[in-house]
Amino acid sequence: MNDDAVRPEGERPSVAELEERAYELRAKLLHLCGTYEGAVHIGGDLSAADIFTALFHYGLDVDPGDISNPRRDRFLLSKGHAAVCMYIAMSMRGFFSYEGIVETYGKLDSAYGMHPCKVQLPGVEASTGSLGHGLPLAVGMALSARHRGETHRVVCLLGDGETGEGSVWEAAMAARSNELGNLVAFVDRNRQLMTSFAEERVAFEPYPDKWRAFGWNVVEADGHDMASLVAAIDGLPAAQSDRPTVVICETVKGKGVDFMEHNLAWHAGSLGAADLERALAALESTRKKETV
Amino acid sequence: MPVTFTFGEMLSARSVIGTTLAELGETHDNLWVLTPDIGATLVEFRDKYPERFLDVGLAEQACVGIAAGLAYDGNIPVVSGMLPFLSMRALEQIRTDVCYPNLPVKIIGTHGGLVGNGGSTHYAVEDLALMCALTNMTVTSVGDPNMVGEVLRQSMSMPGPIYIRLAVGKKDKVLYAEGEHDVRIGKGIVARDGTDATIFTHGTTVAQALDAAEELAADGRSVRVVDMFTLKPIDEALIAQCADETGGKFVVLEDHLAYGGLASRIADVVADRGIRLNGFERLGIPQVYAGFGDDEELRDKHGYGLAATVAATRRVIAQPSWPTSH
Repeated sequence: MNDDAVRPEGERPSVAELEERAYELRAKLLHLCGTYEGAVHIGGDLSAADIFTALFHYGLDVDPGDISNPRRDRFLLSKGHAAVCMYIAMSMRGFFSYEGIVETYGKLDSAYGMHPCKVQLPGVEASTGSLGHGLPLAVGMALSARHRGETHRVVCLLGDGETGEGSVWEAAMAARSNELGNLVAFVDRNRQLMTSFAEERVAFEPYPDKWRAFGWNVVEADGHDMASLVAAIDGLPAAQSDRPTVVICETVKGKGVDFMEHNLAWHAGSLGAADLERALAALESTRKKETV
Repeated sequence: MPVTFTFGEMLSARSVIGTTLAELGETHDNLWVLTPDIGATLVEFRDKYPERFLDVGLAEQACVGIAAGLAYDGNIPVVSGMLPFLSMRALEQIRTDVCYPNLPVKIIGTHGGLVGNGGSTHYAVEDLALMCALTNMTVTSVGDPNMVGEVLRQSMSMPGPIYIRLAVGKKDKVLYAEGEHDVRIGKGIVARDGTDATIFTHGTTVAQALDAAEELAADGRSVRVVDMFTLKPIDEALIAQCADETGGKFVVLEDHLAYGGLASRIADVVADRGIRLNGFERLGIPQVYAGFGDDEELRDKHGYGLAATVAATRRVIAQPSWPTSH
């Protein structure tokens, strides 16, 4: 994403390869959900799995071997409850060990918990979990990059539900006011809150128009179509441009596991052995069969 | 409550909130229930009184502000949610919109202390310090799940705001038999009597203090446990009485920062009233962000688990005694 690349030379994966990695990410998520005794925020993990894959394997200019390079793209997980999806996506990119995540997740002294902590887990850019905090942090990082004359991007992933928080819109206003074209927000528009379907309680629509009204460049993508996500990433305006971009990704909470999709009971949960098998079989049936 | 639970049984405080609010909605037609997307256990009220239920989505500040607006117009609003966010994100709304005009808004929620394994964004550990600082605010922290209903019922007639803190609220130990204690906001409860020392505590650690007292009884120590579920206004008379009757030996145990919560409230009373103590230990969360782990593991790790409570109580009992006077 960057004029001044951090990532070692090498070809970026194809859409088909990304699809396969997203499948693998979901399978690993389900295994963790079947291993850990407590609840995992599996619904919002699955809705964001393709976005995480597109970012960590294609869009973000990051290098797991050089996590403090000042020119790296910054990624902030504003919907911090999808931490485990981020940990695994990052492990598949070489940041962490997947086994380490599964073995210690949620346990005493683990670096991997329900919400990400930068101090406990270097490589993660910010400690998040309380909703509505990511975008203001991202504005600060984007402002700093501008000030230093750097051309990396700052990318922030939000849930649509959390954009009910006023701080999101305060930051959206500041981003446009300060002409932060190096700032990109991805919204996981899964249309579910924890206890209700979004539009039952909160009138988000006309959602893209809200961002347009704040002066943002709005891109609408299918958050489960890798080609659509790749096109959105390829089409991002230059970091030096003067408008922040939001990529609104239409998604499904629980995507890939039929009995979790559109199901309020699966905001968070855990899987017994039989349910894990059922979930993996459901996921397998969605897998694209083309050769990679 | 239609069902009676007895000591040691587990009961969901959240379900008690749900049933109590549904019951109070009948007798109080100006009772409203508001939540920022934490409504799963409020369905009994929501289904019965949908016109007086408001889920604003993820917007804690607006939620508290809207509650204040309802209260200005003569309503009794209850805001239910997760306390790390209500007590901090909406702190200015609580202070300026609720406490300043002294409106009868009730803030009730879960995740007080190192509970739920959510990590430091999801632990309310400073909340009692923040709430106790607010003029007009009554501050409570309730462990026994049945008591939550009683505190809510009593709060209906209060002219000003109240904060009601719970742990996770999914499985809480029933501590008291029905009618065993007179539950009064502003009055501490002597949960177990004793003469060698007093452990003051509140909320989820009352059960732990009772276990510690039981363990100490095995080697002949008689330890009083006070459930000081109201932190503000605090029961000053009971603190003075415990100094007199338990040798001036105090342990304060809480699932909150060790400084700023109940221990600090009691230390203020001790200093202000010139109460002479013969030992004072505070057990709570040190100045750290606590990390992940089960509730009990985290308490042990951070020095306020059961073993630490027993050891601290032994230490204060072993301190030389001077005649107390105040």
